[in-house]
Amino acid sequence: MSARGRAIAAVALRSGASAAWRSGLGLRPRAERRRAVARALRLACEALGPTFIKLGQLASVRPDLVTPEMVFELERLQDRVPAVPVDAIRDVIRRELGAAPEHLFASFDPEPIATASIAQVHEATLAAPYRSVNGRLLGAGARVAVKVVRPGVARLIADDLAVARRWAERAERMRWLARWGPNALLREFESSLARELDLRVEGRVGDRFAFDFADDPLVMVPAVVWTHTTRSVLTSEFVDGWLLSELGEAERAGIDARALATHGAEVFMRQVLVFGRYHADLHPANLIVTRDGRIGYIDFGIAGRTTPPQREAIAQVLVATAYGDADRALRASRALGLEVPEAVEPALRRGVARLMRAHLARSPADVRGFVTGFLGLLAEHRIAIPEGYGMLVKALVTVEGVARAIDPDIDLIEASKPFTTRLVAEQLLRPERLRERLPAALRAALAELMA
Amino acid sequence: MRDVLRFLAAWALVHESADEGWRAAVTRGAGLSPGDLERGPDDFVDGLAALVDAEKERLKHELAADGAGVAPTEGASDRRDADLTAALEAVRFDLAELRGRIESLQTSVDALHAERDD
Ligand SMILES: Nc1ncnc2c1ncn2[C@@H]1O[C@H](COP(=O)(O)OP(=O)(O)O)[C@@H](O)[C@H]1O
Repeated sequence: MSARGRAIAAVALRSGASAAWRSGLGLRPRAERRRAVARALRLACEALGPTFIKLGQLASVRPDLVTPEMVFELERLQDRVPAVPVDAIRDVIRRELGAAPEHLFASFDPEPIATASIAQVHEATLAAPYRSVNGRLLGAGARVAVKVVRPGVARLIADDLAVARRWAERAERMRWLARWGPNALLREFESSLARELDLRVEGRVGDRFAFDFADDPLVMVPAVVWTHTTRSVLTSEFVDGWLLSELGEAERAGIDARALATHGAEVFMRQVLVFGRYHADLHPANLIVTRDGRIGYIDFGIAGRTTPPQREAIAQVLVATAYGDADRALRASRALGLEVPEAVEPALRRGVARLMRAHLARSPADVRGFVTGFLGLLAEHRIAIPEGYGMLVKALVTVEGVARAIDPDIDLIEASKPFTTRLVAEQLLRPERLRERLPAALRAALAELMA
Repeated sequence: MRDVLRFLAAWALVHESADEGWRAAVTRGAGLSPGDLERGPDDFVDGLAALVDAEKERLKHELAADGAGVAPTEGASDRRDADLTAALEAVRFDLAELRGRIESLQTSVDALHAERDD
């Protein structure tokens, strides 16, 4: 075993032992045990560095793969790491952009604004004007954020993945682990990680998001400066304001919190239901309330996609959920790949109705509580969660969290009702939908005429 | 002919989308939580009816215009205009995005060049 392999194994063993200890060596209730294991796993990921922090973050948006306890524990993963000395950052910039930051920018702040496990962000100002993909002109002297991949991260991740690959091979041969398909999972993880290491992907997703929301005056997406952007360096317009995660009472007093929170929910619904591209990892550290009261969206790391038929089914699920109709919600979920065996169907429906009454039919609704219960219910009945479905359900909880960070009393369900309802109605009326439904509609019309 | 079908479909849809099942579902939803959800379902059915009505009117106009062999109504030409604008905007975005990719590639190539000069 390589040195890195041994180090990983040591951390894994240590956290396994601590989880066993905390869970009273299996004597405590099951949910409590699962929470202890989840916590140990989060700490282990933090100790093991970028690859595992990213793995944990990716797992935290995938309730189809891990238990609900794990999902909600892993989203607390911290990747606060010491800053990379500015000289090392300068080297990366020189290698990637062909000149030192002093030559490329009018000014470059050696103090980072943020440090994370994969990248570090510095503030700078443009030396020359630039016209963005969406047609906005950034003047010379405009403030920008320069995100730089930490030197050595790619190498470290490659090494970790080599270790993981050997372990996955071994796990594939053990029957109790093989049902998780470790090799396939690892491949999926590798490709997500590769996408995240290439900052151009993030820049393109951001540009597209800005295009989609060009008509929305409350959405602010930093323009990408492509002449100063490559695989490991992303230069984008500086968003000036308060991170949602740091929004205090004073700032909140100066904005229309209710309107912004409601709007945030609508933006998410539009992404999922209209454009088919959505932020799957929308947390308060990725959102900035700007000084002029708009919402700035940064960090387009993890994105989800929905196809047109999925969008329609999702809208149906949302409306049914909003109106507390468990039966319809489950039926529409089937179109999203949720397979419910006939034998457990009635019990599941009763369970969902119970959860809806407990968490949604009160004010303000508690989407997080509902989703946690729902995922637990699916696990209990051993119903597999389709990938997109899991990601979406989790994203909804995240949106609630984000909206609450702006307005603590917001009711996500109430707030998004007018929008989703309208959307379902509009979907039903699209000409291509009408043609699709024509045979049935004609039959209905004929039946009406004959009556 | 297609417009006739669309009109029929829209007409039929009024019945279909407000069918017993849907109404029952909405009522069931209200039954779950008397009080705060009271107004929602009605709003929904009303909203839907209004939209269907608007669509019906528009379809009727188009149909009448086609039948009479006159130019399409203003509504229809407005819509065609909007479609064209949207298409142009999409093309403009795609081109600008391509420009962005090229700028980034150019920077990478320049950087390789600078490295060899060192
Ligand atoms: N365009 C920007 N304007 C202002 N601050 C930014 C910008 N981009 C990044 N930041 C700051 O850097 C932090 C980390 O950036 P982010 O893109 O989320 O990196 P990571 O994916 O590594 O978390 C953000 O929380 C924010 O404080």
